[in-house]
Amino acid sequence: MTSLGTTERKRRLEQPMSAEISVAARSLLDREDLLQKLDRAVTKRVTIISAPPGSGKTSLLRAWTERAGKLRRVAYLSVDRDQQDAQRFWTAVLTAIRGAADLIDTHEPVDRVASELAEHAESESTVLIIDDLHELRSAEALAQLEHLLATLPNNAHVVLSSRRDPPIRLHQLRLAGEVAEIRASDLRFTQEEARELLAAAVISLSDQAAAALYERTEGWAAGLRLAVISLSGHRDPERFVTEFSGTDRAIGEYLMAEMLGRQPSDVQTMLLRTSIVDRLNGELADLLAGRHGSEQMLLELEDANAFVISLDAKRTWFRYHQLLSDFLRLELRRRSAAEVPEIHRKAATWFIDHGDALEGIRHTLAAGDWQQAARLLADHLFSLTLDGQEAAIATLLRSFPKGVSADHPELALAHAAVQLAQGRLDEAAAQLALGESHVHNAEPTRRKRLAVAIASLRLALARRSGRFTEAMEQVNLLEASIANETSEDIAMGSELRAVALMNLGIVEAWSGRFDDADRHLSEGAALAQAIGRPYLEVACRAYQALPSASLATAHERGTYAIALAERYGLSDRPLLAPAFGALASIETWTGEFDEAERSLRHGWEVVKPDVDPAAAVLLHLATGMLHAGRGEHQSAVNALTAAVGAQSLLTGAHILGRVVAEWLAATQARLGMSDEARATLDAFSTEGDPIDAIDLGRAAISLAEGDPETARAVLGDVQRFAPPAGFPAYALVEAHVLAGLAYLAEGDRPAAATEAEAALAAAEEDRLIFPFAMNNAGALLDLVARHRTAHGALLAEAVDLLQGKPAPTIGRERQQPPGELSASELRVLRYLPTNLTRPEIAQALYVSINTVNTHMRNIYTKLGAHDRSSAVERARALRLLSTRNHRIPV
Amino acid sequence: MATRACLYTIRIKGRLGATALSAFPSMTHELKGGETVLTGWLEDRSALFGVLAQIEGLGLDLLEVRRQPTR
Repeated sequence: MTSLGTTERKRRLEQPMSAEISVAARSLLDREDLLQKLDRAVTKRVTIISAPPGSGKTSLLRAWTERAGKLRRVAYLSVDRDQQDAQRFWTAVLTAIRGAADLIDTHEPVDRVASELAEHAESESTVLIIDDLHELRSAEALAQLEHLLATLPNNAHVVLSSRRDPPIRLHQLRLAGEVAEIRASDLRFTQEEARELLAAAVISLSDQAAAALYERTEGWAAGLRLAVISLSGHRDPERFVTEFSGTDRAIGEYLMAEMLGRQPSDVQTMLLRTSIVDRLNGELADLLAGRHGSEQMLLELEDANAFVISLDAKRTWFRYHQLLSDFLRLELRRRSAAEVPEIHRKAATWFIDHGDALEGIRHTLAAGDWQQAARLLADHLFSLTLDGQEAAIATLLRSFPKGVSADHPELALAHAAVQLAQGRLDEAAAQLALGESHVHNAEPTRRKRLAVAIASLRLALARRSGRFTEAMEQVNLLEASIANETSEDIAMGSELRAVALMNLGIVEAWSGRFDDADRHLSEGAALAQAIGRPYLEVACRAYQALPSASLATAHERGTYAIALAERYGLSDRPLLAPAFGALASIETWTGEFDEAERSLRHGWEVVKPDVDPAAAVLLHLATGMLHAGRGEHQSAVNALTAAVGAQSLLTGAHILGRVVAEWLAATQARLGMSDEARATLDAFSTEGDPIDAIDLGRAAISLAEGDPETARAVLGDVQRFAPPAGFPAYALVEAHVLAGLAYLAEGDRPAAATEAEAALAAAEEDRLIFPFAMNNAGALLDLVARHRTAHGALLAEAVDLLQGKPAPTIGRERQQPPGELSASELRVLRYLPTNLTRPEIAQALYVSINTVNTHMRNIYTKLGAHDRSSAVERARALRLLSTRNHRIPV
Repeated sequence: MATRACLYTIRIKGRLGATALSAFPSMTHELKGGETVLTGWLEDRSALFGVLAQIEGLGLDLLEVRRQPTR
């Protein structure tokens, strides 16, 4: 797909495959003793390599990997510079472990790291190397790493390499003798190695000079290597050593200056002028150096020493050893300070032309061109927000000098975008108005771009404030402006169209127009994918998880959105909150409370810095449901009250409003707060029409007050709660449960049993267990005889959930009378009519394959079946399974 | 905790040349025997750790950091 070009290219600019090891031939000395020391260290679970820059940590690890990688599995990762993102760090670790950047399909890469490490370690000894750990600045990631180390599987080993001792507690492992350390003193060259190094570079020095050199460098790897570079081809090596050992200059600086001085002048110029970028390729280097042939120089430099490092296997991207790069930047500024801004300008243009606006703006700022940087930021704002780069925009805004940032009208829109992302809607609105009032000052050629940025910000603002009607009007305006676009704006037109579709879909979803929402979100996601806008794509997909027609489909979509976000490195973003909220509510409906709790935790994690009231309603609601399902009524009231509070921040009606009111009222009633419960419902029933959810709430209140007759009267004919065709029977199940409980309270057990069976029947298709749990319907379920119901498996699950007991163990089941299926066996039985394999069933039930095998064997024996299909047939005949082909929530 | 500007002296092994010294524009330097002594007011802890990071980054040998008593 050619339209993916920009994104692809951009991604390559951003992440030149840090996991790969370049195979460049390097004249590095094989330090046999040191390699063996590392061999021995790696027999321990954890090896710490801690030493200052230039000690030869990376060289050692690369040489060792090349050798040890043939005998066992070695995953090598160097942490990106200033890595603050735990998610990205673990994704990179996982990529290194897999040895390929395939789809990372989990929202918990750290868990996956542990399990895949264990998997590999089962078949062969596996070593995970994490280099440059000092660059990891995420406390969360470090804590997770500490946990990983403490729970390493047998046969798995981790090597951590860092400039400083990593802030990881290793006390337990140390006591167990499972930590090896390699420190600066171990990395130091021995005198013998120093002599070998000289010999390998064909440098002949007298013993005396060699000893002096060694003494002066104290065996520091970078010092010796730098000296070797200067000595190669030196006319008078003895004199070099004499001068070097005679000086009391700081050796790193001295040797780097010497090394640079010995390079031909064109190489010197190239090195100095390219030092301002963090990484470079031949083309960029030529541009900055103002000459041709830089790539060849870089290749030769890499071959000659360890101070230029290629980043990819094809050796097209390079970076300088950090010691050298810091030195070169200082030296460039010292020698030609006046030229530095111009070099940054060149770099800026190159990055902008290659689709990396952020890096381009960074260099424009470094050049001191505030005006230009402000203009670039405004021009690229729409595009950057499409990629969800608000955090990076905020960082850029802070880089403007004080005063410039505050008053520059070009920056108002950027401020608005950042504030919008932080949920500071009033400030965003003010900045947006300010930016708008200055558009007419911009050159005509730029006005269209700015107008697009403004239109999309307005739309997002209206949507976020819950002004759904206004949001729809904005979409119509956008559609009109796209219609008469000029040809040069076609690309921008597609992006704008995708943005409009996303916002429209979200607004429709929250307004309960699910079909329209689904159509627009699908269209938006497809368009976003086609134009290479992953952020937008994920945002559309996240909202498609809102449960509408089928819970199983919605759950699948939520999981897909999260996996997609993972793949694009977006999994910590607020845009995922609706997906997590939707998953949590679906999992609560189906009684998977632990999973719901985990989804909620993720949801609250991503949404924290960003308060989107519409998404917050969903998360509060799901939190309330979970508490209600677990019988924690007070916590449920608190969460549902918070949902009402979030709802009140929205101007438009929220689809979830009524159901929030119903459950809040029902829960309040259960706590004896009848008056509050009635007030809650009254606030929602002003619209005149009978509202299902409100009637359910009233019935629950009457039941709680010990008035089952009124409860039944309010419910009336329960069939009116039946859902439209194809939708889950949320209200119907609950109505049957409430009616059943009412009959039970009146002492009419047969009628109660009928309602219970009807509730199970309505719940079967989507496995809606929640209404039983929330209404504490255990006594009602007891009326249903397991072997007379067509819903034995569902009944067993509901009963288990209500009793809060863990799945029975196999041992206990063996004592059961033969012929009767245990609850766990019934649970496995439910999966037999599906096309899931045994491992997939095991995964779905969170048990091991062996457990599933045992259950299946028992099922076959007890049912007298010889294979899966005959077991299903028998189970249907015995009414253990419904004869309908139902879906299994994934 | 240093939350306001304090006067620091920092001793580094080896005499620094013009390039390395240019990394510490906010500090004055003095070459004493085989050592370099940097002296200067650093605004707060972030400024101090910024200087220390430069020292680490350039592979310099840090001997001593001392905050001067403020009078």
